[in-house]
Parts: sequence; C-alpha cells; structure tokens
Amino acid sequence: MIALRVADLTVTYGPVVAVSDLSFCVERGETLVLLGPNGAGKTSAVEAIAGLLPKRRGTVEFLGADISRLSASTIARSGLALVPQWRELFPAFSVEETLIAATTAAAGRQPAPLPAVYELFPVLQERRRQTAGSLSGGEQQMLAIARALVTNPKLLLLDEPSAGLASGITRTLIATIARIRQSGVAIVLVEQNMEIARALGERCCMLSAGRLAWSGSMHEAIERNEAERVYFGEHRQSRPAEG
Amino acid sequence: MLSQLGFVVLAGIKFGALYALTALGLVVVHKATKTVNFAHGAFAMLGAFGSFLIVVNWGWPYWAAYLMIPIAIGVIAATIEFLILRRLRQADMFTVVIATVFLGIALSEGFRLTYNTELLAVPSLFAAPPFIVAGVVITRDTMWVIVGALLAALACIAVFRYGRIGRGMRAMAANIRGAQLCGYSIDGVYMLAWFLGGVLAGLTGVFIAPVTGVSVDLSIAIITAGFVAGVIGGFDSPRGAVLGGLLLGVAESLSAAYGSSAMKNCISFLLLFLVLMWRPQGLFPERSGRSV
Amino acid sequence: MSERRLGGRPDLTALGPALLVLVCTAVGLGLDSYPQYVIAVATISMVVGIALVVLVGLARCITLASGSIMAIGGYASTLAVANLHLPYLVTLVLAILAGGVAGWIIAFPGTRFRGHNLAMVTLVFQSVAIILIREATWLTGGAEGIHVPPPEIFGLVIASDRAFLILIGTASAVMTLAVTILVRGPFGKNLQAVAGNEIAAEAFGASVRGYLTAAFVVSSVAIAFAGALLAPRVRILDPDSFGVLDSVFMLAYPIIGGMHSVWGGLLGGGGLRVLPELLRPVADYQELFFAALVIFVVMFFPGGLTELIRRTTSTFKQHPTRVSASSSALPACAAVSFETGQRADELLVVKGVDKHFEALHAVNAASLSVPMGGIHGLIGPNGAGKTSLFNIISGFLAADGGRVAFAGTSLLELRPRDRIGLGITRTFQNVAIFGQLSCLDNVIIGLGRNPVIHAMAASLDHFVGGAATQDAKHRALVALEAVGLADHGTSRAGSLSLGAQRRLEIARAIVSQPRLILLDEPVSGVAESETEELRDLLIRINAERNIALLVVEHNIPFVAKLCQSLSVMGAGRIVAQGSPAEVISLPIVRQLYFGEQVTA
Repeated sequence: MIALRVADLTVTYGPVVAVSDLSFCVERGETLVLLGPNGAGKTSAVEAIAGLLPKRRGTVEFLGADISRLSASTIARSGLALVPQWRELFPAFSVEETLIAATTAAAGRQPAPLPAVYELFPVLQERRRQTAGSLSGGEQQMLAIARALVTNPKLLLLDEPSAGLASGITRTLIATIARIRQSGVAIVLVEQNMEIARALGERCCMLSAGRLAWSGSMHEAIERNEAERVYFGEHRQSRPAEG
Repeated sequence: MLSQLGFVVLAGIKFGALYALTALGLVVVHKATKTVNFAHGAFAMLGAFGSFLIVVNWGWPYWAAYLMIPIAIGVIAATIEFLILRRLRQADMFTVVIATVFLGIALSEGFRLTYNTELLAVPSLFAAPPFIVAGVVITRDTMWVIVGALLAALACIAVFRYGRIGRGMRAMAANIRGAQLCGYSIDGVYMLAWFLGGVLAGLTGVFIAPVTGVSVDLSIAIITAGFVAGVIGGFDSPRGAVLGGLLLGVAESLSAAYGSSAMKNCISFLLLFLVLMWRPQGLFPERSGRSV
Repeated sequence: MSERRLGGRPDLTALGPALLVLVCTAVGLGLDSYPQYVIAVATISMVVGIALVVLVGLARCITLASGSIMAIGGYASTLAVANLHLPYLVTLVLAILAGGVAGWIIAFPGTRFRGHNLAMVTLVFQSVAIILIREATWLTGGAEGIHVPPPEIFGLVIASDRAFLILIGTASAVMTLAVTILVRGPFGKNLQAVAGNEIAAEAFGASVRGYLTAAFVVSSVAIAFAGALLAPRVRILDPDSFGVLDSVFMLAYPIIGGMHSVWGGLLGGGGLRVLPELLRPVADYQELFFAALVIFVVMFFPGGLTELIRRTTSTFKQHPTRVSASSSALPACAAVSFETGQRADELLVVKGVDKHFEALHAVNAASLSVPMGGIHGLIGPNGAGKTSLFNIISGFLAADGGRVAFAGTSLLELRPRDRIGLGITRTFQNVAIFGQLSCLDNVIIGLGRNPVIHAMAASLDHFVGGAATQDAKHRALVALEAVGLADHGTSRAGSLSLGAQRRLEIARAIVSQPRLILLDEPVSGVAESETEELRDLLIRINAERNIALLVVEHNIPFVAKLCQSLSVMGAGRIVAQGSPAEVISLPIVRQLYFGEQVTA
C-alpha cells in the first residue's frame, strides 16, 4: 500500500532548477532515506512535497489523493508532516503552546494526545513552560519533531534532523525515530549522516544535481558504496572487490 | 495652575487612548501579514460615520453602535483583504503600500461624495454633569473614552496574546512556514487579522465620533497619528502601540497647550524622527527570542 | 592610431523624451489660451513624473515628500525674485540648488531605511517643511501665500499664456533631457543595479548609500525646478497646495505611466495632469476616479502603461543581434607589485582567521593561501564555516582575528567595494546578475568605474558617444566573447538560462582584468553537462589570463578536476590541505561528510 507517490517532480527557483524529474514511492510504514551532497535538491524536494514551494511541477499523491496543487497548510491538515531543516519554530512560544498550535492541523482528524508525545520526549515535558527560543539545539530539534507528531501524521518528512547537533545525540535521535516508526508512520528521512541513514533506512534514493542518481535498498547502497560515488565521483579509495 | 496641567494631561490621555486603539489596529495587521494598512484611517472614519447613522439618523441607542459598527467595519476590511489584497500577495512592498494608500483615499472620497457636508456632529453619550477632581474638570465623555478605549485595547491584546484567535496570527508573525506546517492557512489568518484590524478601526471611529465629529479629515488624521504612535512604540509590539499612543497623545496635548498649534504638529514628527534615528525598533518593543 | 577609431555614435534616442515635450509645446501653440495653460502645466508634471521614475522606479525608494520639494523650489525662486531682485533664470538655478540640498537632507537619514520607515522619514520632512513655510509668515506670507511676480527674461516680461507655454515647455524639455541623459547612461544603470542587488553592486565598486543619495538629490533637483516653473504660472504660492495628499497623488504618475522608464514618467505625469480636464463634467469625482484607477492598474497592470506597451510589442521583438568587438586583443594586464617581504608566489594569504557568532566558533584559526595564477578550492560540509571564511575574504563579514593579505595589502580593513581596485572580483552563490539590465551593461559594471560622480560624467560621455563609452563597451564585448555570450549582448540578463547567467557572472568578474576571482559555488544548481563547460571555461581563463581562482563548492568531482590544491574545512577548522587526489581519499575527510568512518 503506497503512502506517497512522487512522479516527475520538478522544482525551480527562477532560473535555477533545484529538482528535475524526480520520481519515487514510499510504502505505508516504510522508511526511505534521501541521500546526496549539498545542493543536490533533497531539501527542495521534501519542501515541495509538503507544499511550501510554489514553483513545482509533477505529481505528488498522498494516500491516493493528489496533493500536487494544495497549500502547505492543507497538506499538513491531511496528515503529511514536515520537520524542516531549519526547524522553523516560534521563538516566543512556550513548548506547550507550540504543541497546542500544531493541534490545528489535526483538527477534524484525531489529534495525537499530548501525553503520548511528551512520553516520547520527556525533556520537553520538563521544559513545557519554557520558550522555544531558550531551548538548546537538541531540545529545539525534539520540539520540532514533537510539533510534527502532534498533527498525527501518516507520513513524516524529516530534513536532516541531526544537522548541527552534537554527535552524542545521534543515538537518541535514532532510537526516537525508530519508536515513531513503530507506530506505523511512513518516514522520508533526508540525511547526510551515514550512521543514521544505515540504522534507519530500509530503502534509499540518492540525489545528485537535482536528479535521481540511484535508488535501491539500503543494504545494496552500502555494499556498492553508492554514496561515495555520488559524493566524490571517481576519487575514492580503491576497495577490495566484494563478493 | 496644577489643575490646568491636569486638564491638559487628561485631554492628552483621552486622545492618547484613541491613538492607542488605532495603532493597535495597525500593529495587529502588520504583525500577522507584514503589511501596513494605510486605509486604516478611512476605516475608522467609516466607523465614525456609521455611528452617526445609527445614533443620529436611525435614533438607535449608543450601545447598538458600539456593538454593530466594529463588526461591520471588520467585515468590510476582511472583504477588502479578500478582493484586493489577496491578489497583491506576491507583489513588492511599494505596490501594497500604494494600493492601501489609494484605497483609503477612495473610501474617503466615496464618503465625501455621498454625504456632502463638511462636518457631521454626533451627540455625546452622557448628559450628566462632569466630575471635578482636585480642581480638574473631567467630563463623563472623557472618562468614557479613556476607560473604554483602553479597556478595549487591553482586551484585544489579551485575546491576541492568550486566545486561540491570536495564536494563528502570532505564529504567522513569528514564522510563516512554521505556522503553515501547524495547519494555519495564510488565507484564513490574513483575513482574520484584517477583520480584527477593522474591528479596532470601527471601534476607534465610534469612540472618536462624539469627540471630533465626523469629517473627511478624520481619515488622514487618524492614520497619521496611528502610524506615528506605532513607530514610536515599536511597530510589531501590541503593548508598544498602546504605550506609544498614550505618549503621543500627552506630548501633543502639552505642546499644543504650552506651545502653539504648529508646535503640536511638529512635536509628533520630531518625536517620530528621534525614535527612528536612535531606537528604530521603538521605545517599547516586544522582547523577542533568538530566531530558531 | 587614435581615439577616433574608438569614437562612437552619440545616443540620439535620449533626445526622444525631450522632443516629446517640445512637440506637446508646439501643438499647444496652435491652441487657445486655456489649453495652452493646461499643456504648460502638463509639461511641468512630466518633469515631476520623470523625477519620480528615477527615485521610486529605478532606486525603489518610496517618497511622500514631493509636494514639499516642489514648494521649496517655488518659494526659493519667488522669494529670490521678489526680495533679492535676481533675474528669473538665475533663480531657477537657486531653486535647483535648494532642491538638491533638500534631497540631500532627506537622504541623510532616509538611505538608512527602506519601506515603511523610509516613507515615515519623507513624511516627517514633508510635514515639517510645510509647517515651517506656513509659520514663517514674515518671509513666506504664511498660509495666505505670496503673490508671484511675472518672470522677466532679458527684459521680456512673460505674461501671456503663449509666452508662458514657450518658457515652461522649453525649460521642461531641457530638464527632461538632462535627466534622460543620466538615466540612459551608466548612472541610471548603476542605480538600477544598486536597487536590484546591493551586495553585488558594492562588490563592483558602486556605493549603495552614494547612489541612493544621488537618486534623492537628482529627483529633488528636478522637482524643485518644476516648482519654480509652476510658481509664476499659478501666480499665487500657498503651502496648502503642496500637502501630503498632493505628494501622494504625484506618486500616481510613475505607477500609472510605468515605473521603469523615462517615457513612463512622461506619460503618467502628462496624462494624469490632463485627465482632470477631460473629466471636467464630473469634476467632483476626480479624486475618486484617480484612486480607483491607481488601484485598478496596480492590481492588473503592475508595470503601468509602458509595461503594457512593452509586453504587447515584445512579441514582435527580433532575435538578439550579435555585436562584435573589432579586435580581441586587449592591452597586457598590469603587473602586480608586491610589498617587500611578501613571497612573490603567494597572491592571497589567509592566516589564523577567527570568527565567533555568539557561542558558535564559526571559523577557527583558518589559514590557506592562493598562489599567483593558481586555482585553490575550499570544500567542507554544511555549517563547516566555508561561507563565513569566504565572506571574510570578500569583505562582507568582519573577522574577529587573523590576517588576510592580498599581494601584501591587508584586506580586513577595506570595504567590499575597494577590492575591485586592488584586482579582486567575485561571483555569488545565488547568481547575482542585474536581471533588468542587458548582458553588456552587466559586464560594463564589472569594470568597476562606478563611483557616483564618475558615472554621471560617463553618462554625458555616453550621450555624446565619447571614447570612454566605446572603450568600456569594447572591453565588455571581449569579456562576453571569452565566455561564449557574444550573441547575447543586448539580451536582458534575467531572461538567460542559469548556466548562461553563471557565465555572465564570470564575464563580469574578468572584464576588469583582476588578479584573483573569488567564486562562490559557481556550479550550484547547474545541470551536469553545463558543469563541464563551466569548468573548462574557468581553466581556460586561468591559463590564458593568469587569473588566480579561489573556489568554494559542494560539488566535489567538479572541484577535484578544476583545482590544483584544496583546503577542507570542518567545524570551523582547516582539516586537510593538499592536492585533490591526496585530500579526497583521506579518512578524515570522509568522516567529515558521512559522520562516521566508512568501512567495509
């Protein structure tokens, strides 16, 4: 059962073509990783899917419904949530108010109960009266993810959740995302950190200069060293041939 | 001597309260939509005119005016947002400024042509005699404007700050993308902001009608005072708008009483200029957190 | 051989707008008294329209002070005639000076702001100026106004409508010509560049503050001149004719006529001034009609009349014509002289540069060097500090410590726009060409001859077809040929594809014959095939012209084939340095990108 189908997605900013004819699918409950160097178009792709970018062509279908022309708020309300690369929080809002604000998107459907979200992020419960602007980097990332979860999504887009975070947090992040996945949410994870990608990804798409360079299972990607080829081109360590 | 000072200050607070209400209307719309509605003064003038219609022409009681006018002007404002401003969402700031400026002019002219008199008088609310406190004469009307307008402003700030209605607007003001991801639609929030701005403009009009009467000049006078008060207080800060308005009102009253009428006009602009140069974020800006 | 060979044709099209003004005047001579009055006043409004096109259209500065400037011009001239008994023509010059000073006064605080705050500053000036005029009864007659004596020119008294028309029409045509020359020449181009992309303009020597101030001064000069022409025609000057509402209505001229061309100012000013005459039967509804018209145009025809005309005629536009340079040989590049003690082969030396953003140590004791004629790359993952370091080198960010020296000269104290004089140019990650200018004009700006006064003189040179203009054009064409864009000289830069725009940026960066070009993600967003072409172009430029390159990029295969040496940045530090082959296969570099050791 397909949660998300993207066909020939093209995203432009003026004369810049950030994404060109991108196509991929995500099944219900599956975790897909989008890999690629900076400027490959990963962020543009997920932001376009979430409806934040106006100049997009191609088709995006979510749970069978065409969301290609819908606004970001409508898409959020239909159960597709994005945790953007720059988090985009509200500095003066308290943790609690941020989460309450997000319940707007769940209106009409069943909102995720706040206690369940707090259970996933106990630190946020502790700091629920603090303003978002006063939280540490890691806590802000958690808040951004929690805010997306409150909207009770069927599909979660995570754009480089580990960016700018201390390496110790990586374990916690992996565990948290794994738990989220357990509740049946499909996940599209944009990452450059291979550790996280390998731990969580089931399938993987590699982007390069806006195009799909390679797609397949995560296992294959690691075996065939696809990431190195996409990032570094011909310059890589010579490796003993694998069986 | 002191009683005269008291009287002047009180008059200043009375106008200050009206400026505060106006500035608040401007700030609410600007905070949520990043545009300044230069037709705000015209909206207030229409509100004053509506008050004239209801109280003088139709002979209904004042409370009907206070209830119906703000909502009516709010609806008009929201409709204008839908019909005109929505089209201009992608346009640059100059275009939007010009559009609202000329919109204000169109509305004032429209009014002037339909009701071809210079000044329409609106009776005061209270017939009873004024109070005298410490030698200062305080009319009931003055009390009503000060208390009423300030209470309305505070109520609006409370709704904005704590209510569900305000949350979407504050979220949009803080981060438009984040707000959309929470499910707030730009169309919905913008229209709501303009509705709220219109309500405040209408309220200003109803309060000001018995004080100054209804005339076309109201339109420009109100938007100028409101804008100046907003910039002085801090343009994105609701409480700055209220405090800026009060400050402006008192400053003007003092300079008119102890200086000259030309001084009065100069003072507001000089104050504005000083604030712009030395504290461009305003005298009472909102404490904002780090951007995340 | 002489400059004669390089001399070009004068720019006769600049005479167009002034000719239109004269034609209107001539037409008026055949009409009755009242139409002559109307046309005279209309030509004055044309001048105001053009002035506002310069300020509001080209410089994108909003102003609510036009009314007061007009009043200042009118009162200056009138008072000089009445009190100082100066000849009228001399008082016109006085009015111009007064306008210029007023414009400069507004610009002083004004150029610090944009948008609403700028509108506020101009509103303050407008209101205070009118209040002062109204209060200075002893001088100006106060609110009652003053009577304006009829002008006397060489003994001739101008009193009849016909005489006024000739005087005003001619004077308006002269001012129109002067402003048109400025707009059509490098001054107008640079002004548009500054308003379009401040950072790029500064990088090529155009001071944003300088040009915006000049825009205020030029437009105020013209508007004050218009006021001085108007005063004797209306016979009585009073402050209330020049209020805020009048300023607002004057803004309608460029909005309706078209904000980006002199013709727009003419059409808007003249048309809107004549319109009330046609609306005589419904005189009362005039202002309502105006306001509705403005709103309508703003909503449905955002560029005004001239934009509408341009769009309908652009379907008939012919293909861009190839303009060729007469010879591709340019004089040899000047040798770079080094300060003593400087190693001759190290052109750019960066040593121990530090930068903190609050708690973040963005750049940590970074050092690198670029040899003469070398190509050096700077790579690293997002957030590694490459951009910060690059901005420090190019002057757009202040360093907290360390040294950056170019041929021995320290760069850290210099403003960005001083670098082009030393021989350093740059390109931008978000391609920063000036979209509304032609490719040729974009490259000409790259020459760096952009201080305000210089550009004004160059505009005059452009009008008469002088040698300097030809030289600039020639150099620009050579640069365009070098990057393969010679066919697009006259095309609008914004209409090019991304790859072509990036090549245009390179042409702009090489035309001043620099010693070093700083390239910020030169292939970001470019398709694979064009990436190869760009790389070959850069290698060629480096080899043929001996220009050193410092390249920041994310595209590692591109950088590996282009650069002779690489620095890798991670978490603010330079983590590795050496040839591409050495550096890229280092484990530490892989760890930087993938977050962990990539092992079998």
